[in-house]
Amino acid sequence: MKTVAKIGGKVALTALIAFVGTFTLYITNGENKLIYYVIRPLLNKHYDNQVRDRRIV
Amino acid sequence: MFDKVIASIDKKLERFDPIWQAEHGKGGQRSRYYDKTGVAKYREWRGVKDTMVDYAAWLKNLMSMAQMVASAPVACLKGFWEYRWMGSYLGTFMFIDRLFEGYRGYELKIAHLNMHAIVRSLTKKIALVLANDRRLGGGPLTDRMVPMDEVLPPLFMTGFKDLIPIPLQTLPEFIICDVDQHIEPYYIDVAESFGLPADVCSRCAAETGVAMDDAFPIIGKAMLSTNMPCNASEATSMFQRRRIGMPDFPVTLAMIHNEPGAHPYSTQMLKDAIAFIEKEYNVKYDWNELFKYAALMNEQNTIELEKWDYMKTPYNPLVGIAETLYRLYAWASVNGQDPYFNKTDRKVIKIIRKAYEEKYEPFAGKTRHRAFLWGPSAVYYTDFPTWIQNCWGINIVLNMDSTMGHNMINTEDPEEAIKDLAIFSEKATMRHHAVGGWDNVNAVWEWAKNFNCDMVLYNDNIACKGMLGVHAVMEEQARELGFHFIFIEHDLEDCRTVSRQDMRNCVNSYMSVVLGEEPLDPTIVEFDDSAAY
Repeated sequence: MKTVAKIGGKVALTALIAFVGTFTLYITNGENKLIYYVIRPLLNKHYDNQVRDRRIV
Repeated sequence: MFDKVIASIDKKLERFDPIWQAEHGKGGQRSRYYDKTGVAKYREWRGVKDTMVDYAAWLKNLMSMAQMVASAPVACLKGFWEYRWMGSYLGTFMFIDRLFEGYRGYELKIAHLNMHAIVRSLTKKIALVLANDRRLGGGPLTDRMVPMDEVLPPLFMTGFKDLIPIPLQTLPEFIICDVDQHIEPYYIDVAESFGLPADVCSRCAAETGVAMDDAFPIIGKAMLSTNMPCNASEATSMFQRRRIGMPDFPVTLAMIHNEPGAHPYSTQMLKDAIAFIEKEYNVKYDWNELFKYAALMNEQNTIELEKWDYMKTPYNPLVGIAETLYRLYAWASVNGQDPYFNKTDRKVIKIIRKAYEEKYEPFAGKTRHRAFLWGPSAVYYTDFPTWIQNCWGINIVLNMDSTMGHNMINTEDPEEAIKDLAIFSEKATMRHHAVGGWDNVNAVWEWAKNFNCDMVLYNDNIACKGMLGVHAVMEEQARELGFHFIFIEHDLEDCRTVSRQDMRNCVNSYMSVVLGEEPLDPTIVEFDDSAAY
């Protein structure tokens, strides 16, 4: 019984931490800020430097 | 007790709710954004229950994206590195946020059910295509894929049990321009740098640019193109065909298709396309396999027709972009091939029935006008239906894209089934609305009347030579029939020619000058979102 309660407590705590973490990311719009201000500018820099095989045929 | 706690939290936090802010003159939807960027400082507070619905949907979509990367990690990384358009998919979360601003209750639930079906299907498709893209090293299914034109409904291809039809332009061009308004100008410039005139339809120019930039995934052994619905489309079809260089069969369906004499021609064309694929891929067509998927499409269309009955009333929570984007994707891209969409439709129709019984009015009953949208919402501004409801209380009841092929397909007799498929395919994107003959264009008034709309919004693609010709005629008819009628100019996929604010101004002018109405949310009448995705 004690072990079950212990495991249950750990699962609940993990779920709570996961909820707090993901909800914070969600409500602060964190992932979009990261994508807009950091990831996309870096990717665009890479795309702009690509040498592409541009032709009609 | 639980409800009381939630009500008390809602009361305490209501000042963060943009709808409350607009009602009390303390801000509105635009207040939480950084200028120009479309990046919100924080996500929309919709009250405890609706914020949790939105959060759960966000989490579910996040899981789908994680699954996509986990299913083909190397291919996905290579895809992000190789294709500029793949980078734009990172804007998906921002895209979904802006689509459903101001949504609450049943309309929010339905919107997310529909949107998740799209995200789930798209992420799987992206992983599948990248994992088998010859440019990225190919995969076990490369030779079993059949690239086909995206305006050709893929349902008839389900008779090939071992083949996977892939609408070629959907991933690198058509879907992604909804997500990121800045992606297609790059490809348009590539096409124009080769001398393509700048006054052609920007969708066709962008597709041509993708081909010339060598940015289409390379899959399959032979492709199906089609007689596209306009001259610019025909041109891009030819450019793509030359650049991709695969054996190709143009499925030239009848364009003026309302006359019964057109159907036997289209029927024969589908039979010829099947014969071409049998020869090129060395496979045999299986009618029973087709019947299986046709039954799924029939169920989707049966539910769609029931949805239309509810849409004719004020008590329908399937509204705006949640309706139009889902139907467009579910029809043109899924087309009976994914049972998850049937599952979603069954869930959604249940909610709609319940909402109708409760006499539930979406957007807290703030709708002032019911509009029929005729024209593709300029694809760089897919959240236009959301804006127009939040700003002026205009509910887009139905979009023209939703009216595509809704005839049932025979699931017992191959000869009847192929005839039904021909009619179904003739009523595809654009053929059904703009270039399938005058009766189809003029049908807008009948549709608007049947759905009890007092307003028609007519998207005016400034580069569409065909539709420019009917401009004055439509204005005259609107006046005679007594509809509020707004032409909304746009350049389809090129936001540099007509910006989102230019489009909004078409509505702002009509609503304030002609109708003398006040906006529901003054913060979104005029704002700069030129740097937003």
